[in-house]
Order: sequence, then structure tokens, then C-alpha cells
Amino acid sequence: MKSRFSDAMTFAVVLAILIFILAPILVLIFSAFDGGNIFRFPPRTYSLRWFEAAFNHPEYRSSLWISTLLGVIATVIAVSLASLAAFGLVRGRPRYRFAVEVLLLAPLTLPLVVWAIALLSIYAELGMNGTLTGLILAHVTITLPFAARIMIATLNEIDPRLEAAAKSLGATPAQVLRRITLPLARPGLLSSSAIAFLVSFNDVVVTTLIAGAGWITFPVRTFSRLRTEGIDPTTIAIGAMIVAFTLLLILVGQRLFQLSRRF
Amino acid sequence: MNQTSDIKPHTTAMLVGPAAALMFGVFVLPFLFLLVLSFWSQVPGSLQFDTHFTVLNYARIFGDSYYLGGLWTTLWLSGLVTVICLILAMPLARWIVLRAGPAKGLLIGLSILPLVCGALLPTLGLVNLLSPLGFINGALKSLGLIQSSLPLLGNITGVAIGLVQAFLPLMILPLITTMERLPQDYEKAAMSLGARRLVVWQRIILPLLLPGIVAGSLLVFCASLTAFVTPQVLGQGKVVTFASLAYQQAALVLDWPFASALAIVMLIFLGLAGMLGALVTRKFGKAS
Repeated sequence: MKSRFSDAMTFAVVLAILIFILAPILVLIFSAFDGGNIFRFPPRTYSLRWFEAAFNHPEYRSSLWISTLLGVIATVIAVSLASLAAFGLVRGRPRYRFAVEVLLLAPLTLPLVVWAIALLSIYAELGMNGTLTGLILAHVTITLPFAARIMIATLNEIDPRLEAAAKSLGATPAQVLRRITLPLARPGLLSSSAIAFLVSFNDVVVTTLIAGAGWITFPVRTFSRLRTEGIDPTTIAIGAMIVAFTLLLILVGQRLFQLSRRF
Repeated sequence: MNQTSDIKPHTTAMLVGPAAALMFGVFVLPFLFLLVLSFWSQVPGSLQFDTHFTVLNYARIFGDSYYLGGLWTTLWLSGLVTVICLILAMPLARWIVLRAGPAKGLLIGLSILPLVCGALLPTLGLVNLLSPLGFINGALKSLGLIQSSLPLLGNITGVAIGLVQAFLPLMILPLITTMERLPQDYEKAAMSLGARRLVVWQRIILPLLLPGIVAGSLLVFCASLTAFVTPQVLGQGKVVTFASLAYQQAALVLDWPFASALAIVMLIFLGLAGMLGALVTRKFGKAS
């Protein structure tokens, strides 16, 4: 019924679509190694000069540092809050479970640019524009839904009878948490931390609106330079490192804790 | 005692409270403020708000062909991107679910890459691929297919390509979720009873996949309608989309009441799209 030919055709179509998704990311990585003064692909001469330039560029260095700091703080807060909430929702089964899930996941479906415009005006009223606190609050808000979604799925998969069994054998609640629940939830915790960090680190939509002059993250700096000066090879070199890091994290995460399973 | 809820209601509330309060305060409340703000105006030459009720912001949007043109372009562009995403995501999702075997997780991981890379970096790669001296034009020329470069950058084609690349994961993920729940026996049963492939698709597969199709389409439409980074970079300032107008007003002109009105108009169109999606699901979803 199904010929080998149509199988091959389907595979070719699927492969083409995958290449389309990945091509821009791979092009960015390869063209960063080009020795020329413009952004080109395929590279003609290989050199690491733009990576050197990137690391010696003080503005880019401070931006990368800010992005990392912000990403780590936002991830820690978002994953902690999301895990506590997911535990409460899954184990406590409150009547308001559905409503709270909708609330926690809302930023995944509602337009962030609309929200950021509102946040910008509110921060201005409160004098919070351009502050680190304001930026952290915003990044926790955009990363929490990803963490909540993964943690709810993770805890749903853990059999509550394992916890009950430990308890009936005399384990204290703290011991149950440390010896049973946390080890079983570890893949979910790692997946949600990885995704939350990447979302925060790479966000440009929200940050470009609310980051003041003091806390310019790497994507925001790139976006503003792009509007004024176009693309320069230093930007490409850093961009390449970031997408390569993102790709690596996804691949390693997939291998070690099936990152995409609960996504 | 209830066998599953082994924590007390007030403990549950304490666990859920902080996250729920944060999302309500920092995410939901701003939307309400936005609505109020859109009926205010800016005191000229300052960042102060004039809190007298006015509909001038909305009158300005719907009375100016510049904004109406931007709105119209954005709407059909988003519709086009949604349809292309659906056409591309369908075979990919189906292949991942039915055929990929052990590579399934890896392929899902790779498909979500544009989602976690942010809006900007993949777009930079696309600038290179699409530019007049870029890879695609170069390849087509060396194959002798075209004489002069195709204009793929600074126009609607480039923006559409960028949006499809960026938002394809939003279509793939819901489709995969729905397809995984779909019992494969139905298809085989219908085929073994002599139904033709087209009929099987029309009568069995599509109605069962409809929730995933509607969810994915809404996500892609919503994301395209409100995207401003991709249109700005790939359109090179020559393609005016509604969200980039709102971004300009909010970040560069600093007329926040007017930016709010533009944002509310976007929300209204998203609401309409959501209602259309619900309508389609109700009409065709349980038809089989």
C-alpha cells in the first residue's frame, strides 16, 4: 500500500522543513568564523579574530555579564515559585486548580509586547523604569510559565503512592521530600531551569522596552545597534556563541534528562 | 481521608500563593491599566498623563490610513504565516509522532530551538541567507536559475519567511500533542473497510486533529500579529506592521497612551481570532 518511493518523498519533505528551521542558526555559527569584514556565508577564510574582538569589546562584555546575571536570578526565582505552586496544585488538588493553572500559563499565549508597553507605563509611574528590580520582576514573569508547565507535567508523572509508602514506613515529610520527591522531580527541575534561563537570556521583546540605560542585556544591545549601524561581525561572533550554547544545552538536556518530553 | 490530597488546604494556598500573586500583580493588572491608559492622553512635551477621558487615541488609529494600512498588512500577513506554518508543521509533526522512533525526543528538541533562541539571533542568520549577495541568491545564481538577485530582504516576503521560521514550533508542539492522543487504529480500521486516503483524512484525521490545529493556529496568529523584532530586522524599516508601530510609540516617541490604544486594538483582534477558533472547533470538531 505504501511504496518505498512515497516514504522517501515524505522523508525528503520532513528533512527540508527541519533544515529550514535550523538553517538560520547554523549559518550564524559558521559565518562567525569568517575572516572578512562583512557578515557572509559560506565563510571564505577562517579566523577567530571576531571572537577576540567580541571579548575585548567592553560594552559587549558588560552586556553579556548583565544577561547572565539576570538570567540566573530570574531562573532561580521562577523555578522555585513555579515548583512550589506546581506541588501545591498537583498534590493539594485545590478546587481553584484550573483557574490558577490558566493564570500561571497566561504569558505563553498573551502577547508580551502588549504587556511590556503596559509595564513600561506602570514602572514610569512607580519610578521603577531602568531598575534591576523591575527587570527581574519582568523576567520572572516571562520565564515562570515555562517552568510551571514543565513542573506540573513532572509532578503529575510522579506516583503519589511512592511518597505515601515512604511516609507509612516512618519517613518525616522533610525526608520524603529529600529522598523521594526531589530525586524523582530532578529531570523536570533541570529542564525547567534550562528553558527558563534560555528564555530570559535571549529575550529581546520585553527587555528592549523596559531596560533603561543602566541594564542593557546582550540581545537589547544587539537590537539597538542593528537599528542604528547595521550588522557588524562582532555581534555575529557573540550571537554565534549564544546560539551554539543554546543548541548544546538543548542537545545535552535531551540526552541527560529528556528535556523535550514535558515541554 | 481523601487519598490524593495529602497536604492541607492552607498549605496548598501557601505553596500556590506567591506564584499566583506575582502573575496577577505583574502580568494581569498591567492589562487592566493598559485599558484605562488608552483613554488618557499625554501632556505634550512631558511624560505626565492627562487623566481626562478621551477617545482621541482610537480616533487617530481608525482615522489615519497609515495606521489602518499597517493594521491591514499585519492581519493578512499573520493569516498567511499561520497557513504556511500549518502546511509545514503537519507533515513534520506526523512524521515525528509516527515514524521518528528513538529520534523523536531529539527532533522535538531541535524543533523548539527557535522558541528558546529568542526573536533576534535566528533573524540575524536569516538576514545573511536572504540578502541580495546572500547564500540563497548565490546558490540560485550559480545553478543558473536566476540572472539577478531576488529581493528577499526589506519586503513582505522576507518578513513572512522570518515569521514562519520563528513561530513554526508554536504549531508543531500542539499538533504533536494532539497526534499522540490519536488512536492509530481508527485510520487503519477506516482503510481496511475500504475508505480512500482522502476520505480518511477528511472524515477521521482532520476532525480529530482539529483541537491541535486550532490551538496551533491561534498561537502562531497571535505571535505574528504582535511580532515587531522580526518585521523590523527583515523588513529593514520598509514593512510597517502594527506591533512595530506600537513599539515605536512606546519606546521611541514615548506616547504611552497612544501606544496603549494600539496595543488594545491588537488585543481586540486576538480576541476575535480566539472566538473564531472556538466557533470552528464547535462546528466541525465533533462532526465525525
